[in-house]
Amino acid sequence: MAIPGAIGASIVDHTTGFAVATAGAAPDSDHAAAAAGAADVVQAANSRSLFVSAVPHDLLEDLIITTAGGYHLLRPVQTDFDSRLVLYVWLDRIHGNLAIARRRMQKLADELVTSFTS
Amino acid sequence: MSPSKTAAPGRLLTQAAGERQTGTLVVGGHPGGMVYLLEGAVVYAESPAAPGVGELLTASGRLAGRTWQAALDAGAPGARVGRLLLDQGHLTQGELELCVLGAIYDAAYFALSPPTAPVEFRPGATHWLGPVIRVEVAAVNREARRRARLLEEIHPYPRFDTAPVSPVPRPPVERVALTAAQWELLVHADGQRTPADLAQLLGRAGFATILQLRRLAAQGLIEVPGSQNDNSDLVRLPRARGIAVDIRRPVVTLDDGPQVLVATSSASGGPPPQAGEPSKDNGPVYRPPRLARRKPGAKLPKDLAHEPPPVHTGTDEVLLKRIRTALRALR
Repeated sequence: MAIPGAIGASIVDHTTGFAVATAGAAPDSDHAAAAAGAADVVQAANSRSLFVSAVPHDLLEDLIITTAGGYHLLRPVQTDFDSRLVLYVWLDRIHGNLAIARRRMQKLADELVTSFTS
Repeated sequence: MSPSKTAAPGRLLTQAAGERQTGTLVVGGHPGGMVYLLEGAVVYAESPAAPGVGELLTASGRLAGRTWQAALDAGAPGARVGRLLLDQGHLTQGELELCVLGAIYDAAYFALSPPTAPVEFRPGATHWLGPVIRVEVAAVNREARRRARLLEEIHPYPRFDTAPVSPVPRPPVERVALTAAQWELLVHADGQRTPADLAQLLGRAGFATILQLRRLAAQGLIEVPGSQNDNSDLVRLPRARGIAVDIRRPVVTLDDGPQVLVATSSASGGPPPQAGEPSKDNGPVYRPPRLARRKPGAKLPKDLAHEPPPVHTGTDEVLLKRIRTALRALR
């Protein structure tokens, strides 16, 4: 995996909370639950808060949840057609580097549209 | 396999996958759908309630309609439409795979979620798109069941999924917060489009559309299907809103005619014809207005003429003078 300290990753449909593809481990070894949780968080940020609508044409770029043991990063994948996907990466707190992970995820989300393999 | 019989679509699919079959599961009913298997794995699914790959790509503007049509014409006979789009550089591998994957799960929900439906497995039948991605039947079945549960949790009224969508004229709450997707749906809901129509029109997944509609229904923002007393099948008549009383307009009959001033032959000299008197030349009858009017040039009656006209002073007068000067300047 290209992101240092990454424990697991998945691509989640954030309207339905469905894990389209998964890799590595998931919290509680449950990718489905992680996907549903990720969808809830993205939905809360998109629909119930003012953060993403403060400026016209503002878009959610990424969400970072910090815990004592790790980082959980969520980044929407932009496609021209209706896909509603979000990239989820679980990072180890000690081995992970938030800045590097964010940059890699940006690249990954862009590359996903060009070369996706499940 | 046997011709059309009533069974659980998911179970028949699992059975066909267990035998590593290639073919198509045809599910009847409303909305119904088809699931395409290649050696026991799902390669495509379609349903009238879910926009297909072509609709998703063209409605969003990702592909021009003619690009898609050309690929369809050239690739459909050999089942290599997907391959063609990639080879010609219209789409990237990732885009196509994500799009097909989304379409499979979307249509599979509609085809597999009914507990029983008329189903038939047609061995050997393949889809014109060609294999782009393969999904396990177990995963598709599991996801279809999970999606059905998801809708139940939001608002357990399946009738919202198929009936034409009408937004309520007046929201039941003071403040309404909508997501962009919900706004899009409400703006395009005209009381005639069904959720499937809206999904096709907007290029959005069918299930995502239903999900948003159920959320709107839970908030009381769309009409409960069947609650409106539709008098007409074709036109949605405006309904009286709130508790306001309908205005009772007098019934207009042909005799009344429009109140247009038409000079009839008798109006020139003699007395105007009385109301109800039949007019000789079938034209609209001229009715004198209720209030007596002065003839042009005639003087005011004496009792009125005695009173001097009210004198306006101050700003009114100044204003009138200014208007007069301005009017003169225009000549």
